[in-house]
Amino acid sequence: MTEPELATPFRERAERALGDRFLQEALTIATTKFITLRREAFAELPEGEALRDQARAIKEATLQRLDYWLERLVDNVERRGGHVHYATSADEARAIVLDIARRTGARMAVKSKSMATEEIHLNEALEAAGVTPVETDLGEYIIQLAHERPSHIIAPAIHKTKGQVAELFARELGRETEPDPEVLTRIARVELREKFLQADLGISGANFAVAETGTVVLVTNEGNGRMVTSLPRVHVAVMGVEKVIPSMTDLAVFLAILAKSATGQKLSVYTSLVNGPRRGGELEGPEEFHLVLLDNGRVRQIAGPLRESLNCLRCGACLNVCPVYRQIGGHAYGYTYPGPIGILLTAMLNGPASVKDLAHASSLCGACMDACPVRIDIPRMLIELRKEVSEGRIAPWSERMVFGAFAWLLRRPGLYRLGARLGRLAQAPLARGGRIRRVPLFFGEWTRTRDLPAIAPRTFQERWADLEREARR
Amino acid sequence: MSVTAAFMVTCLGDMFYPEVGERIVRLLRRLGVTVGFPPGQTCCGLPLFNSGYHAEAAAVARRTVEIFAGAESPVVVPSGSCAWMVKHEYAGLMATPAERTAAERLAGRTYELSQFLVRVLGRRRFRSAVAGTLTYHDSCHLLRGLHESESPRALLREAAGATFVELPGSDECCGFGGSFSVRLPEVSTAILDKKLASVEASGADCVVACDAGCLMQMRGGLSRRASRVQALHLAEVLEVENHLPEGSGEPFQGSPST
Amino acid sequence: MTSRTEFFRRIRAEVERGRGAAPGTTAPRPAQPRERLDVLRRELSERWRENLDCFGREFERVAGVLHRVGDAREVPGVVARIAAERGMRKVVAWPGETLGLDIVTPLIAQGLEAAAMPGAEVGPAERERLRALAAAADLGVTAADVAIAETGTLVVVSGAGRPRSTSLLPACHVAVFDREALVESLLQMGLVLEAWHEGAEPSWRGAAINFITGPSRTADIELTLTRGVHGPREVHAVFVEQGIRAHRA
Repeated sequence: MTEPELATPFRERAERALGDRFLQEALTIATTKFITLRREAFAELPEGEALRDQARAIKEATLQRLDYWLERLVDNVERRGGHVHYATSADEARAIVLDIARRTGARMAVKSKSMATEEIHLNEALEAAGVTPVETDLGEYIIQLAHERPSHIIAPAIHKTKGQVAELFARELGRETEPDPEVLTRIARVELREKFLQADLGISGANFAVAETGTVVLVTNEGNGRMVTSLPRVHVAVMGVEKVIPSMTDLAVFLAILAKSATGQKLSVYTSLVNGPRRGGELEGPEEFHLVLLDNGRVRQIAGPLRESLNCLRCGACLNVCPVYRQIGGHAYGYTYPGPIGILLTAMLNGPASVKDLAHASSLCGACMDACPVRIDIPRMLIELRKEVSEGRIAPWSERMVFGAFAWLLRRPGLYRLGARLGRLAQAPLARGGRIRRVPLFFGEWTRTRDLPAIAPRTFQERWADLEREARR
Repeated sequence: MSVTAAFMVTCLGDMFYPEVGERIVRLLRRLGVTVGFPPGQTCCGLPLFNSGYHAEAAAVARRTVEIFAGAESPVVVPSGSCAWMVKHEYAGLMATPAERTAAERLAGRTYELSQFLVRVLGRRRFRSAVAGTLTYHDSCHLLRGLHESESPRALLREAAGATFVELPGSDECCGFGGSFSVRLPEVSTAILDKKLASVEASGADCVVACDAGCLMQMRGGLSRRASRVQALHLAEVLEVENHLPEGSGEPFQGSPST
Repeated sequence: MTSRTEFFRRIRAEVERGRGAAPGTTAPRPAQPRERLDVLRRELSERWRENLDCFGREFERVAGVLHRVGDAREVPGVVARIAAERGMRKVVAWPGETLGLDIVTPLIAQGLEAAAMPGAEVGPAERERLRALAAAADLGVTAADVAIAETGTLVVVSGAGRPRSTSLLPACHVAVFDREALVESLLQMGLVLEAWHEGAEPSWRGAAINFITGPSRTADIELTLTRGVHGPREVHAVFVEQGIRAHRA
């Protein structure tokens, strides 16, 4: 998201999204489909709940000894001839990759889908350094051509119509074509095949990295992960430190639930295990393999309030079920990661002030936690963030006044009851048939679209005496 | 049966839906329960908690625990969200071990209405005060916080004189979310519209919920669009019919999950 | 630039601070994976028929096509038929020692342009040529080291005589396997992976292990499913009942 976009208040961005007819339809269709597919996949998996518990336990155990597991990973990657680099910040991560690109002499880099590289804004840096980054995941390719950001963690171009894609290909590739997904896919296949075969540098993320063996694991459906890690001379994987898992046995547990949570597939089409650079006798495979370990705010959370969000597998299940995401889509959030987990990750990367509005972009319904394969308690952490925003005085003082006054009143039952009587007086001109259709100020936000009940002529407390008498009769 | 119960009216229940509270008290009495109403109740503190004002929420919580400390009787709550607040968050807000213990004791004997009827009293057969077709909206805190989806359905399915249909997307949020409804009113309304479209498409005459917040949201939308569909609290639907077989329905095995 | 020492110092400090925040356990690992795997394979050999049926069902669910032959000599015929049905002429294949059978000679005899990949290391110029050959090919034939019944997945290990491109660049991929490749579940596959990585690794093994669950696909445009995005558009698996003789992963 560009700076000018973030200058628009979140509520306005959300409203704009609500008014976008195609986006609304696309979101409904896509999220409903993902929800259904996920539900069906887990219905067929009797051990599904046990696997989710196990997956969560593995993640927690790994965090408990993150230093140990990362060191084992590093040792094993180096044993296999790979190089490991350490990036505390996004700046450093970009600098490391640029340096590798420079030493490779690459003019162009093919990229398989990586949210970590989005997070550090790698593409802009590569362009500036004269290295053309080419996104190869079809959805990412589309939004790259459109100069946009992804709107969903696993389906980045969910917000685009096939007509828009056809127009895009015509404009950017000089290929006039009908708006048929098959045809458009074929064009992308041909265009990108060229790039795969020419590129000197392949850049990927990592879904997992197995510490005991030094293996980086990529999960894709299109085959671009295989291309990027086999054809170019140099392969760089950028990976958040929390992606490490101890063993292959652990990996099997995650593979059993990851794709099912994301798209309802039993497995994604390609799960690629990369054990370092090309070995002797292999026709393909990179000569050099680099692993960039990325901190960028993660390490601070190991003992922090957002610790649990380090367990995230980036499956997108929480986006699909979130009533807010389903209405506004990913761009309205304004940051790299949208949806429920996105709010937490944004706070992790950019600090609590960055989510002073986003932390409230939730009805706290809990559907996200229900859907999360590793049972991350997102609502709890959203409330924690709201606490940081309110107690950290990031929330506006007017709001803090109102809540403070409300809390004060709630501890004084006499004044509370008086408040009810005063409210009845105040509402008298507005209430018709027990309903209020318009209220000024704060609650006007409600009455613009909904009726408000009137305060009852007698509250329950005022009726209790009668109810007691009834009982004695 | 000589059961005593304390009624927690909730702030929304007290101010806006006192008739629901009245019906609950009368219903419980007809089932042989002696109902107490500890005085001085205001609010459980959930709105403060959800907006991150935890020190304030803790003060309100402390007060509530004291108010209900007296007897060891079960506490009956008409809203799933308030019941959840007491059962799940009170102990964590307390500062001292003594306060925590008191909060945990209260949590252990607090029940949302449908849970109390079905799982504690073992009563499932009632008459419906509303003829026609009923459907049910799962409020988020009751469904996901208290893991309760069966008790309300059992009651509605067996309510004599009405038919029950499942609501597609019953487990989807209505868009209330407390202050969310006025912080992001456009989004809240869009979510509500989706819910109400589902309600109207279900063919039901009435959508039932066990939460005052959900009811305020859904009723607010239904009345604004002059819908013929009503949104009612469970207590507005259930009536005791004394000629129904005594002890119809066994209490569920085990206690309600917390 | 952060050094390894500094990077780990920070992590260690935070891990210390966060100690006890949440308990957890890693999955229990088999003590002697290779031995356990041998035991498992013996058990699986009793159930290979059901497992093959299960594999077939799942493979077809992900749009794979399963063929069954009795004898390795029938495999070239199946490949030739697949090619003919699609008007395909150019085939690349793993060499005999890794495929477990000589497929190139019979295919050429049937009028196809077939070429075998080399079994050992070759120079950069030759690698370029072979890559172009694979990219131009219509059909690629490999072995599959494992077939996971639960998910309809073929697992293909790279290495000398086992190029990755053969199963990746041509539009049609054909994998040949026998009953020894069959495992039932992903969890069993975890054991296989543990066993493969236990101790010293064989010199022929390459750096890539690829799980292939059907043809390449995407639904990125309006959620409409299309196949053959970057990888093959079709995947076929040929089961040889009598077995194939090839060095195994």
